[in-house]
Amino acid sequence: MKDFKYVKKGLKRTDGEMIVTGRAKFTVDMALPEMLFGKILGSPYPHARIIGINVDKAKELEGVKAVVTGKDIGYRRFSFIDTPAYPAEQTPLAVDRVRFVGEGVAAVAAVTEDIAAKALDLIEVEYEELPAVFDPEESMKDGAPAVHDIIEPNTTTAWEDFGIPKAKSRPFKVVNNISNRTLIEYGDIEKGFEEADCIREDRFEIPSTSHVAMEPHVAVANYQPTGKLDVWLTHMGYEHKRFWLAKLLDIPMSMVRVHKTYVGGTFGGKISIFPYEILSAYLSRLTARPVKITLTRQEVFSTCPPARRMIVYMKMGVNKEGKITAYHSKVIDDVGAYRRSSPTAMYLAHSFRNPIYDIANVRHEGYGVYTNKLYATAKRGHSLQQMSFAVESQIDMICEELGLDKVDMRLKNFRKKGDVLPNGDTLNSYALPECLKQAVEKIGWKEKYGKEKSRGFGIGTASMFSGAHNYPFASGAMIRLNHDGRMILYTGQTEFGIGIDTVMAQVVAEVLDCPMDYVIVNCGDSEVSPHDVGNWLSAGMFVSGEAVRRAALDLREQMLNYAATGLEIDVEDLEMNDGWIVSRSDDSKKLSFSDMSRYGIQMAGGDPLIGKGYTKCVPEVYFWKGKYNKTASLSSGKGRFTQAYGLAAAAAEVEVTPETGEVKIIELVVADDCGTPINVKSVEGQIMSQAVMGIGDVLLEEVEIKDGIVMNPNLLEYRVPTANDIPKITSIIVDSYEPNGPFGAKEVGETSRAAAISAIANAICNAIGKRICALPMTNDRIMQAISDKKGGNS
Amino acid sequence: MKRGILLSVNGERREVFIEPNRTLLDVLREELSLTGVKEACGRGECGACTVLVDGNPVNSCITLAVEAEGKEIETIEGLSNGGDLHPLQEAFIEHHSFQCGFCTPGIIMTAKAFLDRNPEPTEEEIKNAVAGNICRCTGYDNIVDGILNAAEEIKK
Repeated sequence: MKDFKYVKKGLKRTDGEMIVTGRAKFTVDMALPEMLFGKILGSPYPHARIIGINVDKAKELEGVKAVVTGKDIGYRRFSFIDTPAYPAEQTPLAVDRVRFVGEGVAAVAAVTEDIAAKALDLIEVEYEELPAVFDPEESMKDGAPAVHDIIEPNTTTAWEDFGIPKAKSRPFKVVNNISNRTLIEYGDIEKGFEEADCIREDRFEIPSTSHVAMEPHVAVANYQPTGKLDVWLTHMGYEHKRFWLAKLLDIPMSMVRVHKTYVGGTFGGKISIFPYEILSAYLSRLTARPVKITLTRQEVFSTCPPARRMIVYMKMGVNKEGKITAYHSKVIDDVGAYRRSSPTAMYLAHSFRNPIYDIANVRHEGYGVYTNKLYATAKRGHSLQQMSFAVESQIDMICEELGLDKVDMRLKNFRKKGDVLPNGDTLNSYALPECLKQAVEKIGWKEKYGKEKSRGFGIGTASMFSGAHNYPFASGAMIRLNHDGRMILYTGQTEFGIGIDTVMAQVVAEVLDCPMDYVIVNCGDSEVSPHDVGNWLSAGMFVSGEAVRRAALDLREQMLNYAATGLEIDVEDLEMNDGWIVSRSDDSKKLSFSDMSRYGIQMAGGDPLIGKGYTKCVPEVYFWKGKYNKTASLSSGKGRFTQAYGLAAAAAEVEVTPETGEVKIIELVVADDCGTPINVKSVEGQIMSQAVMGIGDVLLEEVEIKDGIVMNPNLLEYRVPTANDIPKITSIIVDSYEPNGPFGAKEVGETSRAAAISAIANAICNAIGKRICALPMTNDRIMQAISDKKGGNS
Repeated sequence: MKRGILLSVNGERREVFIEPNRTLLDVLREELSLTGVKEACGRGECGACTVLVDGNPVNSCITLAVEAEGKEIETIEGLSNGGDLHPLQEAFIEHHSFQCGFCTPGIIMTAKAFLDRNPEPTEEEIKNAVAGNICRCTGYDNIVDGILNAAEEIKK
């Protein structure tokens, strides 16, 4: 393989000066002339009928410009997943019924935030309390209070709008509060369990955790007299935002412009659309003034969806040789008041773990269940960490029962490079075995495992898509050559911490062999940038990065062809070198990039030279006017998911103080097969970030909800890791070279967290000699497990 | 009742006419447009709003603007001298000490106050110094590296 000049280097962030000087503008920093401030009144009840709302006094308050209720806006429904089978059920404000504490019932726009807050106090809402249900397993029982009755779509669903060939939307009658189901089966699990020498059945419980993106949720909307809507959002992809804003406000999607801003972290928590975003736009149109809604940290904790809370019933069969013969997972996803992405999560709960172990007989059942709690959403791995915790815990338990080596057993069950998964995805790159081997070697597993009392060792694995064939399906990119020989790259990718300007410039500089500062990146502006898949399901580099690479190749070809004509030599004799187009045979014959721009304009009919590139998440998948091929089904898991899987393995060593239950992580090693790291330092940063987030997941974090109320909606009571909580962490990049990715790159942003969680959890249980089947593993929970006389699992 | 107060911010005298219950954070961001100062929790729990008052790091979200009257206030906007970055800013770029960058101004100001007092810190001392600043992106390692390297650069 040829040496790279710009790729696979740890180059500095090209926009670093913007960040370190405080000049980078985030949405919270936006201020427009005449801007109003919005506030949303939340329900104090988990479940209640709205009898009436009186807004007269609020409207009379000086400085209040608009007050709206759910009745004013009506049944305009939205959801992350809105399909004919699972139509959207959430409205920007509750119309006649509230289903969780904090659900919006009215919104105000006023000249200051203080006045808006005072106006909320003047709104009188009359409620009739309804019986509520909080426990998902209670909620599924006959006779439980119904969170929803029948969901009747009054528009086409998003999937119909996207052209996905499914049945027409229809009313969804909710039975036993089940919001969605997934059933994925292959092989014969009954036969598989018969072949097993050890069968374990365990119940795992994973709570909600918060994303704690440092920039709180915020939106600024400016509805123009021309009918155009300008918005500044804190987000992770503009296509979903503008689709839903257009649909809910009845304006053409092209009239919604999501402007570029810096985004202060997302981690999955700012995906798709939120009520405060729709309300800022609605209030802006109503008042003909810009409206900003900034949520407080407490409002983020209490009204914005945290990660999914799940109960996982795992049943696995393993034979004496250590081969997994059967796998049956039953997942109950406590979706809260609205299902949002649960249909996706329930299929991802299978498909993110699918590339890891080669198991012939599988049944995966997933159930989304409504409760009267804050609804939930994706968080960095979206089901992967919950499932990795359950599966990797149970594998350790089985290894202990059968006396198997925990590393060898996993190596024996791993899939292989080249394997075709049951849904048709091919593992074109697969270095999971190397990841595990390197992680355990670095931690000293062989020498140290089981040698010292109160010391524990654990390993964990994870895998993740590199983008999936969900809306927006594909990415485009354009590169415009300027007269000075420099280029502007237009990409729809959003900068929320990944260093998009830098890595995309590296891709272009590599293809065109030019200095990094020849490439100016314009990212994340929906009016300027092309269609883009967004920064979720880890599609950023693999899909949009490939589109950028192809745009650069397209521009390169155009430039070389003009250079050949201009120099009157064969195009084959030309190469690019450090910003020049040079003849291989006679290096006195050369042209600059600036020359090429002049040539195009003067000698080629004014051609300004624009490179165009595009790529699809999964090229084989299509649908067009009733014809379709290999589209994935969320409910059956059939059809293609992704083109490439990122993989990771982690190993942890911990020490537990038996008297206090205190955990000290001695060392954590995470080895990530992300293909070629385009920017080595950025990739290491992604791995470290996830390792530390994983520490929080195992030891600290839980959104505590009691009677539907979030009990710890602040950063004192909801603790995240600080600099003092960081042990020795080693990140290892295992480059498997993914043939379908740009320069061999694939996913890196979401895998390691789940590997770290399962490794740390297993290490703790190994140290105390007891099994804990719930997160987080707080000191109290560990003490309880240690004192459990039964000696088995708790 | 609004009143006029005189603040000294980044070496400049700035007059503002404000309610006495306004926080320093609000006044810096909204009256003086110094939006490098960030609000992430509003309760003094995360350090994103850290500015220096007479050289001491304070959470400006729980400090009243009137309390800072007559004192020297430094924000991230005042750290670089014209186009020349402070060694901490240089080191943060060099060592990838940020990802989304939202917590970065607060961390850099905390680190500046710390290095002013302790020019030869150990890694542990640095971790302690920035333990009140939450960063959700980096995992902190590169932040500690950045501060260590800045300390060496300042010594030179």
